[in-house]
Parts: sequence; structure tokens; C-alpha cells
Amino acid sequence: MGAGAVVRRREEALVMVAVGVLLAGVIALPLLALLAGAVPFLLDATAVERGALLALLASASGLLLTSAGLAMAVTLTSVALGVPLGIALARLDVPGARAALLLHVAPMFLPPFLVALGWFHLLGRDGLLGSESGSRLLFSRAGHVLVLTLCLTPVVTSLVALAASGIAPVLEDAARIVAGARRIVLRILVPLTLPAATLAGLIVFTLAFSELGVPMFLRVPAYPAAILARLGGIDFAPNEALALSLPLLAFALLLFGVEWSLARRFGAPALALASSRRRLPLGRWRVFVGMVVWVYVICTFLPIVALLLHGLPALPEVTGWLGTSVRNSILAAGSAATLVTVLAATAGWAIGRRRPGSRVLDALAFVGFATPSALLGVALIALWNRPATSAVYGSLTIVVLGYVCRYAAIGMRTVTASVLQTPASTEDAAATAGAGFVRRLRGIIVPEQRRALLGAWLLAFVFSLRDLETPVLFYPPGGEPLTVRIFTLEANAPGAVVAGLATVQVVLTALVVVAGGALLRRSALA
Amino acid sequence: MSDAAIELRDVWASRDRRTALCGVSLVVRPGEVVGVVGPSGAGKSTLLRVILGLLAPDRGTVSIDGSVASTEARTLIAPEDRKLGMVFQDLALWPHLTVEGNLAFGLEARGVARAERTRRIDDVLARVSLDDERDRRPDTLSGGERQRVAIARALVLEPAAVLLDEPLASLDVLLKRQIRELLRELFAERRCAVLYVTHDPRELSELAHRIVILDEGAVVQDGTPEEIRSQPRGELVRRLVAAW
Repeated sequence: MGAGAVVRRREEALVMVAVGVLLAGVIALPLLALLAGAVPFLLDATAVERGALLALLASASGLLLTSAGLAMAVTLTSVALGVPLGIALARLDVPGARAALLLHVAPMFLPPFLVALGWFHLLGRDGLLGSESGSRLLFSRAGHVLVLTLCLTPVVTSLVALAASGIAPVLEDAARIVAGARRIVLRILVPLTLPAATLAGLIVFTLAFSELGVPMFLRVPAYPAAILARLGGIDFAPNEALALSLPLLAFALLLFGVEWSLARRFGAPALALASSRRRLPLGRWRVFVGMVVWVYVICTFLPIVALLLHGLPALPEVTGWLGTSVRNSILAAGSAATLVTVLAATAGWAIGRRRPGSRVLDALAFVGFATPSALLGVALIALWNRPATSAVYGSLTIVVLGYVCRYAAIGMRTVTASVLQTPASTEDAAATAGAGFVRRLRGIIVPEQRRALLGAWLLAFVFSLRDLETPVLFYPPGGEPLTVRIFTLEANAPGAVVAGLATVQVVLTALVVVAGGALLRRSALA
Repeated sequence: MSDAAIELRDVWASRDRRTALCGVSLVVRPGEVVGVVGPSGAGKSTLLRVILGLLAPDRGTVSIDGSVASTEARTLIAPEDRKLGMVFQDLALWPHLTVEGNLAFGLEARGVARAERTRRIDDVLARVSLDDERDRRPDTLSGGERQRVAIARALVLEPAAVLLDEPLASLDVLLKRQIRELLRELFAERRCAVLYVTHDPRELSELAHRIVILDEGAVVQDGTPEEIRSQPRGELVRRLVAAW
């Protein structure tokens, strides 16, 4: 057998090893570098230094628990709101359900601190609906929970809606001949969307716990902010930042453990590739349910309207303030999304087909997503901030690596969900005809999964575009994305300029989402 | 008032903007087993959806147990209040509920008291030989066991009429015979009205009192199996009889 034939036989294994090495390099290596740096640092520290670090950790433990508690509050309220909303918008005959879902998910694609800014334009002292009490509510822990809940509920809504759309209509028919709508929702639809709701809850907790922009804007003390403060500005103390980031490892491992056990219990949630046209009639409750849904949806969209009202008139003034931030955002998010899509096409497929070693790839990606961004930032700094790697650390590449680390899981899971619903027979037929893995990947898997791959690219792009927490810790000079630009100018630039910059972010995101949506529709028709 | 368990008068219905039923009239009396036979696209599934109340007829009247249930695009009796049992073609067992949970769901919805619920579930599970499987979920059962759960779920409601949509379609030859025998015994015991939809007339041998042949949404022939065999009307019925 020639060398070419041997390579062809081992193509799949070689590709998966390469993907594994890439994922390990991007995700596991920085965390290992962090630990490798922390151990000698702790061993070599004097008794006084060690005492000071222990005192720091002890004093910060309250803040850590508060941050975790707030993230849990956001998670519980998001799940409590998102599950009924997702089911209502996907499976009940709510008037204008499709439009409501599109409006409702919009805040999910924006940096939450911009939504907080929108709420400030509404409820702040000088806001459109402003009052002293409204302002006090906004700048409090309750306001923090409220803003993040309204930003992150769409994660639950959209995943539950996708899962609900995937429920075979006949299961609902079987229930309709014996039970009314309320019982069908509570006993059939809600339990069947439970795996998706649980996964969504985990994602919301991860995002809420990592959140930096909202607590800093609303002046609510948060653990990630304590780390950021020690990586820049007058409190610069990188060793303290390193020490403070270590407890977050426990959180990352805990989240990973929870996800692992959920995956064992439920398997991958079945997410529909197309929405079901069948909707459960609500009868006399239709108007009431429709009103409740629409009031909530309008509430979630209201801050964006307020932001645009303030920002649109200021757009002509912001050109000079943008610098290269828009280019940086697009370049970094686009590069990261492309890399994530490559990982999704290979690893996402392998997970869906339960190929050997695929659970390891899935676990690696999820660890990257579950790692709080403050810990991830410190870990990336620990690995790449060296003279030998200054080409990476001093350029947008480090931002791209950060995005890939955080969002590889989202792209991979998107493709996995699609692969799980695609019969393997066409791939088997190609293999039987003698096609090696690379040929099957190019000729069968990628064309078959093109819609999921496009979705993976779009999600990775939009989530990177909205990300503040990851790049804010290590963006290179002149390489700050737009989110970081707005965040750093928030305290010092005129309010109109900040609102104008925020509007640029909203418009940019809207353009990407609308164009991506159109492409997804076209690829569905093709 | 009619004594029919199910009665359709000149029913027209459409699905996906295409006419699927064209003036269908049909009567099923208590204790009667009526088979509906027709090729794919004949309107069999639409007929069942109209009777169940999952689809309102464009024209005509559907009566259940003597009461008008839907007429002229209006649903007067909701699906859950029609007191019908149904065995779906792909069974439609709720995957997150156990065998007992699948049977209890409809009884709970109809407000049947706990003791009565337990009695009925015990009875019907014993009858279909599944009394030891009550705590298992559908995905852990064999094809034949799942089929029996679906039949038990329809019968436990003690419905005025049972509708079956291709109940043997996905079974192998041996299981088909076993389940058909079970159905024959259950129909005789329960004496409820039965509407049995299939594309294979052989399934109805020794089961159906009457057979209705449906083609392109219209009733082509309605008669006893012997009448259909001896006096087939039209090419389709002749071909069906030849394949019987």
C-alpha cells in the first residue's frame, strides 16, 4: 500500500488530531500556562506576600459569592421568563409570534452594557421615563439583575423555541384529543424542552457571571471588575489579578461538571432546523396571552429604541471618535468566526456522529466557553505576553484567539445539532464509493450542513462582535474593538458621542444579522 | 338525534390549500368496526383529523355520539371533549413519560379520580400484557410493546369510538398477526365504535364489519367486505380486491 493510500485511510484521524491540537492550543494551553505560572509564584512568595494574598482572597470571597448570586438570580429569572416565552412564540397561536421573536432576541446580539445604557436613557434622572426612584432602581443590584435578565432571556427563549419547534406535531395532536392547551404546555411541551432550557440556563449563568460592562456601568461591585482593576490603571497589580483569577477555575470546572452530567442525562437537545408551522390554538386565551407576550417583548426592545433616539442625531459627530475600532471589530470577529466554522465543520460533525475522541473535543470547547472571561484573559496574558510571542500578543491575533476560545463551543454545538438530525446514509454511500474523509467533508458534509455552518459562522461573528469582557483585558495598542472603544470612552466622552458610538454598534450588528438571515433563508431555499 | 358514534355528512376539507376531502359521508355505529382503505393521498389522514377535531371541515357536518362537533368551518366541540381514542400511525407516545404516565395523562385531564385511574390502568395494562412494564419509558420498549402501549392509551379512556391510523404499518409479519389478533379480541370485548384506516385491505380481514374505499378525497364504495369483494365498483376497488 502506498503512502498516499495510508494517509487517505487515516485522513479522518489526522484531521481530528489536528483539530484536537488546535483546540487544546487555544483553550487548554493558556489555562495550563496560568497554573504553571501560579504554582512557582505561590511557592516562591514570602510569608508576608502569601499572607497578603490570602487576606486579598478572603476579602474578595464575599464579592465572588455576590457575583455568583447575582448571576444565579439572572439565570433563574431568565429561565422562568424564557421557557414560557419560547414555547409561546414557537408553538402557540400568539398573534405576530414570528415578529415578536425577532424583536425579542435583538438585545441578545448587543453588548449588555449598551442595553444598560439604553435603560439609562429611559430610566435615568434625565431619561425619557426618568425619575429619582427609577434611577435608584437602575443603579442597584436589582437593576443589574433586571438589565441582564432582559438581555439574556432571549438565549433561553431562542433555544427553547428551537427545541419546541423540533417536537413532532403528532405528540401535540395526541395530547390535544384528551387535554386542553394549559395541560399540554405544562405536561408535554415544557418537559420536552427541558434539555434545551437547562443548557440555556447554563449559558446564561456563564455569560452573566463573566459580565463586566453592566456591573461597572451600574456601579455594582463585581468580581470580574476587581480583576480588571488590577490589570490596568492605578490599581495595577498583576500578581493579585492572577491570585484572584484562580478561584474562577473552580467555577469553570463546576460548570463543566454540570454540563457533562446534563449531557449524560439528557443527551444533546434536539433543536429544530426549521420552525414548525403547526401552532396550538389558545381559544379564548389568545388575546390575553398575545398581550402579555407583546408587552414583554416591547419592554426588551425599548432600551434599544431609547439608545437609537439618543444616538442617531449624534452619528455625524462620532467619525473622529471611532478610530480603527470598527475595522478591528469586523476583522477580529470575522477571523474568529471563520476559525470557529472550520472547527465546527470537523469537530461539530464528529460529535454529532459520535466519532472516537469527539467527547474530548466537545469538552475542550465547553471548557473554553465556561471559563469566566476574567480568568480566560489572565490565562491568555500568562501564555502569550512574552517577548517571543509579541507578534501574537501585540496584534489582533490575541483578540481572535480569545474569541475562538470563548465561542468555539457555540459554533460546534450548532453544527452538532444539525448533524444529529441528518441521516448518515449519504456519507456512508460516499464512503462505500471509496471517498476518503477529506473528500466526504468537501463533497458531502459541508454542502449538506451549509446552513448550519453559515449559522455557526453568524453566531460566532455576532457573539464576538458583542464581546467586551474578553478583549478588554488584553486588547493590543490601536487594536481595540468597538465595544472596548465605547466602554473606555463611556466615562470621559460626551454622552451624545457615546450614544452615537453605541448606535454604530447597533447598526453594524443589525446589518450583519439581517444579511446573515437573508443568506440563511437563501441557503434553505437552495 | 342519530344513534351513530361518528357521523359525517357531506364533509369537505382542505390541507395546505388543497382539497383533501370532497363531500364525504360516513356513519360508524356503536360496536361497529369500519375500515377505511385507500391509496396514499386519498384523504385518509385528513378524514381522521376532521373527526378528531384537529381540522375543521370547510363544509359539511361532523357529529360525535349524536352531537354536532363541527360544521361549516366551525369547531363546536373541542378535540379534548369529543371522547375519542386514537392510535396514531407513528404511535406518538410521549417520550418523557413512562408507560403508566402515557396512560394516566388523558385520565388526569378528564378528571378521573385516582382510584378509578389506577383501576383502569391496571385493567388495560393486564389486557395488553404490559403490567410489568408500567415504569418503563417508550424508548426502552420493543416495537410490539410500544404498539400495545399506544392501543392501551386509546382504550384506557373508555372512548365512545376508537380511531386507528395504519396501526400495523411499521410491524413485521409476526407482530402484525399478533397485534391484529389482540385488536380483534379488544374490539369484541369493548364493543365501542372503531374506524380503522389502512392502505392494506388484508389487515381488515376478520376485523371490519364494513369497508369504505376512499380515493382522491371521495368515497368510492361503502359496503361489507363481501359486497366489496363480489361487486367492486371502479378500477381502484377492483385492483384492491385483486390484491386482497
